Amino acid sequence: MSSPFELTRNITIGQYLVRNSIIHKLDPRFKLASFAILLVGIAICDSYIGNLIGLFLSIYLFHLASIPVSYGVSGLKPAIPFMIIIGLMQLFLYKEMSPDNVIYWQLGFLEVSSASIKIVIISVLRFMQIIFLSSILTLSTSTTEITRGLERLLSPLQKVKFPVHAFSLIITIAIRFVPTFAMEMEKMMKAQASRGAEFGTGAWWQIIKRTTEMFPLIIPLFNVALARGEDLILAMEARCYTPGSSRTVYTQYKANGNDYVALLVSVGIVFVLVFIPYPW
Amino acid sequence: MNQPILSVKDLTYVYMKSTPLEHQALLGVNMEITEGEIVAIIGHTGCGKSTLIQHFNGIHFPQTGHVMINGMDLTKPKLDVKSLRRQVGLVFQNPEDQLFEKLVGDDIAYGPFKMKLPLEEVRERVKWAMEMVGLPFDEMKDRATFALSGGQKRKVALAGVLALRPKILVLDEPTAGLDPKSRRELLEKIKKLNQEEGITVIFVSHNMEEVAYLADRIYVMAGGKEVCHGTPEEIFTNPEIILQHRIGTPETVRTLHRLHEEGYAVNTGRFRVEDASTEIRKLLPE
Repeated sequence: MSSPFELTRNITIGQYLVRNSIIHKLDPRFKLASFAILLVGIAICDSYIGNLIGLFLSIYLFHLASIPVSYGVSGLKPAIPFMIIIGLMQLFLYKEMSPDNVIYWQLGFLEVSSASIKIVIISVLRFMQIIFLSSILTLSTSTTEITRGLERLLSPLQKVKFPVHAFSLIITIAIRFVPTFAMEMEKMMKAQASRGAEFGTGAWWQIIKRTTEMFPLIIPLFNVALARGEDLILAMEARCYTPGSSRTVYTQYKANGNDYVALLVSVGIVFVLVFIPYPW
Repeated sequence: MNQPILSVKDLTYVYMKSTPLEHQALLGVNMEITEGEIVAIIGHTGCGKSTLIQHFNGIHFPQTGHVMINGMDLTKPKLDVKSLRRQVGLVFQNPEDQLFEKLVGDDIAYGPFKMKLPLEEVRERVKWAMEMVGLPFDEMKDRATFALSGGQKRKVALAGVLALRPKILVLDEPTAGLDPKSRRELLEKIKKLNQEEGITVIFVSHNMEEVAYLADRIYVMAGGKEVCHGTPEEIFTNPEIILQHRIGTPETVRTLHRLHEEGYAVNTGRFRVEDASTEIRKLLPE
C-alpha cells in the first residue's frame, strides 16, 4: 500500500536525475533551443500521424536520457484532470466552418462535430508530448544549467533593454520551488491529517466545503512560502547578489558535434511533423 | 508483563517506491512499548526515526511487517484510521509552522471539532489542553496565533494535539530550536502528562540531557534498524554502544565517567542531574 501523502511521487517536472547520458551532456543552450523548436513543431502539427510520431519520439528521448519510461509516464497523472476539462470544453465548444465538417449532436450553442472530436484527440496527444518534453528537459538539466543556458540564449535581447538576467532567474526560481512546495505541502497534509483533517471528502458540487477544507493547508503554505522567500533574499544578499548589475560566469560553454547534431535533428523532426502532408 | 500498547515487527518502508528516486528508509524494525512508558528513540539523522513514528499515526502504512497499536492492526485494509489518529497524537517537527487559525483557542479546537464533539466538550478539552501545556485559558484563548513567540506557538501546537485526548503521544524532536527556558518548561509538561494523565509518550530526540531526563527506555536506531534498546542506565553506561553508534551522552554521564577514570569512587549509572550532584558531593571534603 503506498502512502497517500507522497505528493512528489508523480511530479516529474522540476526534478533532476543525475545520469550520464547523451541528453544530460548536451550544452544547455542547445538543449533549450532544441526544446523550443520541438515545442513549436508540436504546437503547429495537427495531423494524427504527425502527433503519434512526435509522441513516439518524445518517449524515445526518455530512453536516450537513461530515465525509466514508466517514471516519465507517471508525470502525466497530475495533469489528467486538466486534460479532461480542456478536452470536454473543446469537444462541446469548438466550432469549425468547413464543408466537410459533420455535426453529430447539437444543443443550443453546444455541438459535437467531426472537427471537434479531432481537435480533442490531437490536443490530448499534444499535451502528452509537451509534458514528456518538459520532463526530459528538467530531469536531465540542473536548474543552474537551465538558468545559464536561458540567459545566454536570450542575451541578444539585452540590446533592447530586456532584463534577461532577472527573467531567467525568475523562471529558475519558479521551477526550482515546485518540488520544494510539494514537499512542504506533503508535510502540512500529514500534520493536519493527524489532527483529524480530511481532504477532498466533500462532493464536487460542495465547492465551499471543499475550499474550506483546504484552509488548514493553504494558510500555513503561504506562510512557509513567504518565509522561504525571505530566506532566499537573505541567502542571495549574503553572497553579494546585486540586482541589475552585470555578472560574469565561470562556466563557459563550448558547443561540440553532439550539440549541433541535436539541434539539426530537432529541426529535422519539426520538418517531418509540420511539412509532410499526412493523409490523417 | 503487560500486553504492549504498541508493537512493531519487521517493519520495512521504501519511499517513492518504483521511481528512480526510491529510497529505503526502514529495513526491519522491531519495537515493543508498554502502556504508561516514556520511550526515547535516538539515532543519527536519516536513520529512519521520523519514518518510523509516522507509522504510529497512520501517515505511512507498513509495506512489509506489522504494526499493532492498542489492539489495532495497521496492516488490515479496513483499518479505522480516524480512530487510530484519535488514540495516537503525533506532534511533527516544528509544529508551530502548522497553525492556521487566527486565534489560539480556535486552532486548538480544530481537532475536537473535526471529531464532531458538542461545543461544551470542545471548550472543555481546549481548556484542559491549554492548561496542560501551561497556557492560561482565559488569558490566551483569544490571542492571535501569529503574534506569539516560538515557544508559545509550539505549546499551542502541542495543545492542539492533546485536545484529541490521545492515549499515546508521539513527538518528533519536541524541543528542537527552543530556547533553554521554553525547552525545560516543555519537558516538564511532557513528564507531567505522563505521570498525571498516564499518557504513553514516545519521542525522538538528539538531545541526550533531554533523553536522560524523560525516558524510561531508549531505542537506538541506525541505518533503518533498531540496533539496541534498554534503560538509560544500560545505554549510557555501555561505552561500547556509545562509541559504535556515536551516540552523545549527557554531560553528567561524561563527568561521572571522567571522575571514574581518574580513580574516584562514583556510580556512573546515576546520571540524573540530582543524583549526579549527590555523587559528586560525596567526593568533596565536608
